[in-house]
Amino acid sequence: MFWKQSDRDKSESHRDKRAVNLQNLKEMLSNMEDAEIIERETNNSEKIIFIYIRTLINQERLNEAIVVPLIQSSYASVCDCITNSKVSILSTLKEAETQLLFGSVLVFNQKQNVWCSVPLKNTTGRSIETSETETILYGAKDSFSEQIETNITLIRRRLPKTELKVEKFTIGTYSETTVMLMYIDGLTNPEFVKIARNELTNINFDLFFDSSQIAAFMEDHHHSIFPQFLQTDRPDVCAYSLVMGKITMLIDNTPFALVAPITFFHLLQSPEDYINRWPVASFLRGLRYISFIISITLIPFYVALTTHHYEMIPLQILYVLVESRSKLPFTPFWEAFLMLIILEIIKEASLRMPTKSSQTLGVIGGIVIGQAAVEAGFASKVLIVLVGISTIAAFLCPNYLLTKANTLIQFIFLIFSSFMGIIGIALGMIGILAHLNGLTSLKQPYFAPVSPFYGRDWLDLFIRGPLIWMKRRPEHLRTLQKWRYRSRR
Amino acid sequence: MKHLKPVLLIVILSSNIFFTGCSPFVDNNEIEEIAPVTFWSINPGAGGKLEISTLGPPLVKEHKRLLSLKVDLLKQGGKDFNLKYYRELKSGQLRMVLINEELAKKGIMPIINTLLTDPDISQRLYLVIVKGNFDEYIKNQVKSQPNLDYFLYRMLRHYEKKKQGEMSIINLHQFKKLLYSPFSDPILPVFKAQQTNFIYHGTAIFKDDYLKGIAHGVDDQIFQLVNNDYYLKFLPIPKYSVVLGNIRSKVHKKMNENDSKLSIRIDVNGRIEEYRGAKDIQNSIELEKFNKEIETYLEKQTLDLFKNLQQLQADPFKIGTLTLGPISKPMSEKEWLKHWKTLKVNVDYNIKIHPLTSVHE
Repeated sequence: MFWKQSDRDKSESHRDKRAVNLQNLKEMLSNMEDAEIIERETNNSEKIIFIYIRTLINQERLNEAIVVPLIQSSYASVCDCITNSKVSILSTLKEAETQLLFGSVLVFNQKQNVWCSVPLKNTTGRSIETSETETILYGAKDSFSEQIETNITLIRRRLPKTELKVEKFTIGTYSETTVMLMYIDGLTNPEFVKIARNELTNINFDLFFDSSQIAAFMEDHHHSIFPQFLQTDRPDVCAYSLVMGKITMLIDNTPFALVAPITFFHLLQSPEDYINRWPVASFLRGLRYISFIISITLIPFYVALTTHHYEMIPLQILYVLVESRSKLPFTPFWEAFLMLIILEIIKEASLRMPTKSSQTLGVIGGIVIGQAAVEAGFASKVLIVLVGISTIAAFLCPNYLLTKANTLIQFIFLIFSSFMGIIGIALGMIGILAHLNGLTSLKQPYFAPVSPFYGRDWLDLFIRGPLIWMKRRPEHLRTLQKWRYRSRR
Repeated sequence: MKHLKPVLLIVILSSNIFFTGCSPFVDNNEIEEIAPVTFWSINPGAGGKLEISTLGPPLVKEHKRLLSLKVDLLKQGGKDFNLKYYRELKSGQLRMVLINEELAKKGIMPIINTLLTDPDISQRLYLVIVKGNFDEYIKNQVKSQPNLDYFLYRMLRHYEKKKQGEMSIINLHQFKKLLYSPFSDPILPVFKAQQTNFIYHGTAIFKDDYLKGIAHGVDDQIFQLVNNDYYLKFLPIPKYSVVLGNIRSKVHKKMNENDSKLSIRIDVNGRIEEYRGAKDIQNSIELEKFNKEIETYLEKQTLDLFKNLQQLQADPFKIGTLTLGPISKPMSEKEWLKHWKTLKVNVDYNIKIHPLTSVHE
């Protein structure tokens, strides 16, 4: 493996050093159907060669901004004729390759023997649409698209400050993915920026087509089920995070930006928290925490109580449970396990199925999971109700990745509860808490401000305190500017 | 060194589990395979044996039947029930233990201790003394009222809550506290089991674990007012053709300096709910007179109750605690009981009655 890598590196460095000329370019673009090499003569009878990749450039602009002005011009320099704003002179073949693949047109003037590149990137893609993954009722509706430039615009509009810095990184040996690291100079802790820069520079992989892959390479704990970067497609969330002292990374060709460092509690916060009245927002946030706990423990509790701790069930409920379970062939564990697996199959299918088929899925799911399972004696009525509650509770979590993690935690707790009952669930909880306590996001504690303890940050933790009281930036982010408002002096 | 931390953690966690009483050997408690028992009825059997009964299956909608056994020991009954029934009868949901009056007279300490030491049995378990044959009552009623045991439990639970003011409901934990504390004797509710009726009869008064007497009728009502709830929804006094309602009491007990005289002042606040007598209670002078008569009546009744308790040498009102002082040497329980028998008691009622109608001067 080692010699192969070093061989490839050698050929790369060789290409870097080669001079840009027509022969080398033709060699490089051989067998590329969408590569075009066009020769034209100007009014001055000068020979001009245009090289570009048809599928990557805006062909209408090619004629308007380059071909027509050049052929009809009487200027001495090619660069002067071109109406496009940014023209650069090329010297190496590597430069020429990069420019071509990023949607530039290479222009060669034989008389002057100059190769220059003119960016004419094809910006075909989605327009700005409403976020589908993080929907809110009130507040801004725009969301990121696959075009990184547009995404930066959406953030810049919200933070029109020169302190908002954007650093460019190119990662992926084949995908050459552009990553824009954004932070607010003089506010964000420089340590975060330094760590992010290092991590981005050290990434060595061939292809990246989503931000989660980049997050996977930058994460401190690769085997954890908890996301250590917040993935969001909402520009308002990014802008808020930047102002709070976090860093944001925008990735080309994906609408999802990465925000770090985050804590576990960020995953249970929604942008709407800052739009609602604070008592309402606090109530809803509390509901989300309760729902998170319900979604991971409700079914395991059912199994623990019906398998081990019948004496803990209130007599009235025990009456219903015994009645409901009296004719079932499965033990509570297998009953719950099967139902949860079926539910996961239906949930996964509903994501993959075409929209028109989803109605069929709804009907089948409803009948199979609901009535038929009970009538066939596969599951008890009580379990069906509990499965329904825990599934809906899981969806209260605003972060989809955490919702998926919930399912896995639920299965682990289920196994623990079937063996050890409530002690098993307690052990599982201890394990999860210990794991969360050990996690870090961009080398910062993941369970802050609970552990380590930052008392002031609790104002925006389990409750969302009134905005007029939240005058300080979160302490755990150790920002350079602690206060959120400017002194009147 | 690298593995020291996780090993230490595992050792601490497992010690926490095993040394705090959590057994690693778990029973099979799947609810569809067991039959949780909600009550045990314990009667004296022939030859010093115990007759123990319960309903099986206690919860499922199946035909219920009374399971009865003659055993030497309580736990033996718990075990032998399983041999008579296709599901394992478990005592983790035991909510009521009904003890026959005759058995209670012989002492119930072994039964109480057995219940207390069983980790499966909760201390939120109602203890009831039954006058009559409870098994007979269950047999007669089980067809018409299949969930009889459940409703009985709900009734006890309802009256256990404060300010219901009707019954002396005591659970195992409270009984234990009264039994094992110095200067106090336990009480229990008494129910009368007839062919088709199960009626609250009064309050059983114990001397240690022996049933010594039953306060019923007005005595039981006074018991509620002076000791249990300090509240009565209704207090019918047929002698004066009156029913007092919503009665709240404040009891002030005081022992004199040489512990020879006990003074009890009871402030009672209530209203006349019903009156069928000949007095004109709309007249304030008549009402005042009537008030005095009721006070005298209640004072006499309370004094009689105290005299009875003194004779029984039982102290359910924890009067003995009044002899304790911060620097004086406490009496032994034996000494106190001797003293209690001869103690002078003075009862003074201070009743405020609201007539519910306008009163003329």
